[in-house]
Amino acid sequence: MTLASPSEPSQLLPDPIKDSVISAKHLTKKFAGEAVVQDVSFDVPRSSIFGFIGPSGSGKTTTIRLLTGVYTPTDGQVIVLDRNPAQFSQGERARLGYMPQLFVLYPNLTVWENLNFAASLYGMGLFRGKRLKGALKFVELYEHRWKLARDISGGMLRRLSLAATLVHDPQLIFLDEPTAGIDPILRRKFWDHFRELKNQGRTIFVTTQYVSEADNCDLVGVQNNGKLLLVDTPQGLRHHAYGGDMVDFRTAQPFDFQAEAMLRSLSFVRAKTVRTGPDSMRIIVDRASTATPELMEWAQQQNIQVQAVEEYMPSFEDVFVELVRPEVSNG
Amino acid sequence: MGNFFRGMIRASSFFRKEIFEILRQPRLIATLVAGPFLILFIFGIGYRAQSRTLRTLFVVQPNSAIAAQDIQQYGQSTGSVLIYAGVTDNQNEALDRLHRGQVDLVIVEPGDATSTIKNNQQAVFTLYHHEIDPVQVSYVNYLGWLFVGAVNQQVLRSFAVQGQKDAVNLHASLQEAHQNVSAMRQAVQSGDEALAQQKQQGLASNVDDVSLAVGASLSLLDSLQQTKGTNGGNADPVQSTLTDLRQNTNQLSNSTGNKDERLARMDKIDKDITDLDGKLAEFQSLDPSIIVSPFRSETKSVANVQPSISDFFAPAVLALLLQHLAVTFAALSIVRERNVGTMELFRVSPLSAAEALFGKYISYMLFGGVIAAILSALLVFALHVPMLGNWWHFALVIAAVLFTSLGIGFAISIVSQTDSQAVQYSMIVLLASVFFSGFIMSLDMLLPPVRAISWLLPTTYGTLLLRDIALRGTDPNWLLLGGLAAIGLVLMLISWRLMRRLISSSQ
Repeated sequence: MTLASPSEPSQLLPDPIKDSVISAKHLTKKFAGEAVVQDVSFDVPRSSIFGFIGPSGSGKTTTIRLLTGVYTPTDGQVIVLDRNPAQFSQGERARLGYMPQLFVLYPNLTVWENLNFAASLYGMGLFRGKRLKGALKFVELYEHRWKLARDISGGMLRRLSLAATLVHDPQLIFLDEPTAGIDPILRRKFWDHFRELKNQGRTIFVTTQYVSEADNCDLVGVQNNGKLLLVDTPQGLRHHAYGGDMVDFRTAQPFDFQAEAMLRSLSFVRAKTVRTGPDSMRIIVDRASTATPELMEWAQQQNIQVQAVEEYMPSFEDVFVELVRPEVSNG
Repeated sequence: MGNFFRGMIRASSFFRKEIFEILRQPRLIATLVAGPFLILFIFGIGYRAQSRTLRTLFVVQPNSAIAAQDIQQYGQSTGSVLIYAGVTDNQNEALDRLHRGQVDLVIVEPGDATSTIKNNQQAVFTLYHHEIDPVQVSYVNYLGWLFVGAVNQQVLRSFAVQGQKDAVNLHASLQEAHQNVSAMRQAVQSGDEALAQQKQQGLASNVDDVSLAVGASLSLLDSLQQTKGTNGGNADPVQSTLTDLRQNTNQLSNSTGNKDERLARMDKIDKDITDLDGKLAEFQSLDPSIIVSPFRSETKSVANVQPSISDFFAPAVLALLLQHLAVTFAALSIVRERNVGTMELFRVSPLSAAEALFGKYISYMLFGGVIAAILSALLVFALHVPMLGNWWHFALVIAAVLFTSLGIGFAISIVSQTDSQAVQYSMIVLLASVFFSGFIMSLDMLLPPVRAISWLLPTTYGTLLLRDIALRGTDPNWLLLGGLAAIGLVLMLISWRLMRRLISSSQ
């Protein structure tokens, strides 16, 4: 499996090896002798969104803490912004934004006071009101700015945490499950903003349990039981999960066994095909872009009337299950 | 924007945060102000500056030489501390009443006091009580000492009264001696030797009587003069005059030949008799109580005011409250950051330990200062606690107490893992302050090694310094104030190092 080098990187991504903001090499963290993160290696290119997905307890938060310098690795090495996080200067820390998994601000302060505290913590100047207002409007909390944090909902607290993380305009942003408890509409808005930040040159390292959100990332790391199973682009992940691209092939007449056997024998078709109906099959091919015209040509030769040939994009829930299945089976 | 300015902004984040969090708890502020004020107010009006009275039952043996009436009189002579609850001859019944709480004290008179004293031993009054409080036990012991002193005084007074009664007869003997000397002088001048001999014998008899009587009466006065040192060499002591009188009278009987010599000796005898008579008159004019108890003490303070008990405790309460407030707030402050999770945020942020601590110090100093100002104003203007010194000095001491107490609190907070631990440590500091800071008892009552604990507590310094400023009107003892500030500085450095480790180091 590919680790550091994505098989089909986004066009926007620079060469990750040359311009990585985060570089983890054989990172291991043990607590009381038990490894929570094991031999994890990856690079995060500048100006990208790196998604870190995995089930609860897979070591995502521990990894993010290793990257931010909250934890020191038991083994391995981590370089963030060209430096060991444990040796960050104040100036380098000011370039980071960190949103912990839980709300860690103050329940007895108002939304505005909490955000103001976070802004002061990063040394933002005295005329920061406009910036605070903008951050609160982005997370749709401006109307609630005088409410005490203890009086707002869990989702609102997450939004406040996100605003507090972004208010000082950091270069490298660590977000530990930022969309947990957020409604789908606002979640979409968050991701739009993350992409906007990326386009402005910011780098975002984001963990999530919503595997469907992986589609919003440039690169995705899949973590399970403390091990990093794979790092790839979203498309690359699908490819890895199923051993190729998936194409739905539908004909006008029902598909007979002879035709199915012939289809399977084609050189670009992988052995794993699934019949999804009497007149349709889901075929795994090396590459959907090249397989589609070849399929059309083959159908014409076989006098089969094709109704549709289209690439099937499995959900990331399915992709994730496929990816971790061997891990679960082994262990 | 410079690093220093950014650092100040980061520190200010804590300043604002802490102040807002406190202001969100108006009940807490009201309690901090009203609580101590009400305690002092109620204490001031409720405190009785009187000794505790004890209901006392006397046990007198049936055949005792001491009458029940005398016993009651003895009890009353100690003042109002012993309330006479009766006399009984049944000791067991008396002790039973003591156990049942019907009386507070049982005094058993010595069975055969006269025989004991004649055997050259002190007779013992036994006091039974039911106290377990060591302070109250000491009080009962003190009452026993007071009671026996009163009894002894009564006995001595009866001796003095008897002496004054005997002095009437003595005066008659001296008058008769004086007349015999006059008659003898006339007989010697007229050459009537037989009459002179007769009068001389009468005189000798009078002198013998006087010698005997003076031993029991005028010698008391003599002893008093010697004790006081008031004879000063001018007046002869009574015994000396008496010795002269006896010698002159004896020599008068031996010298029958020389007339001038006999007349001169008679003049001396006459003078001694006059002298003794004068002293006798002086003795008779004295109150028997004064004779047996000639001295008493009076205390006068050179302080500018004589504070009431609540006035005296007010500076100590203020110092203790401010210490406890600062220790508790600081102790909970960092441990809560850690438990809530903000410490994780701080570790990632550019915040330094010094900035976080500085912000917290300033906010709690300001808050404590405001509480101290309100409380001090209430104490001085509402409870009329004297404030004789300089308000700036007072404020300086308050600031030093808060600063040092915050150091203790932050050190506690950084080493505590949970809120409960921090609260427990704070309570231990409070308890130590109550016992060792001189709050309830003077530092002099502690052994010097134990006093080392006292000098680690801000309340000790605060109490002494605030009392000096407010109640004596003096400048603060700069050595004490410097010591307090030095402890605060050391604690701040320790807290800073611990905090640095907490924020900077990774796990």
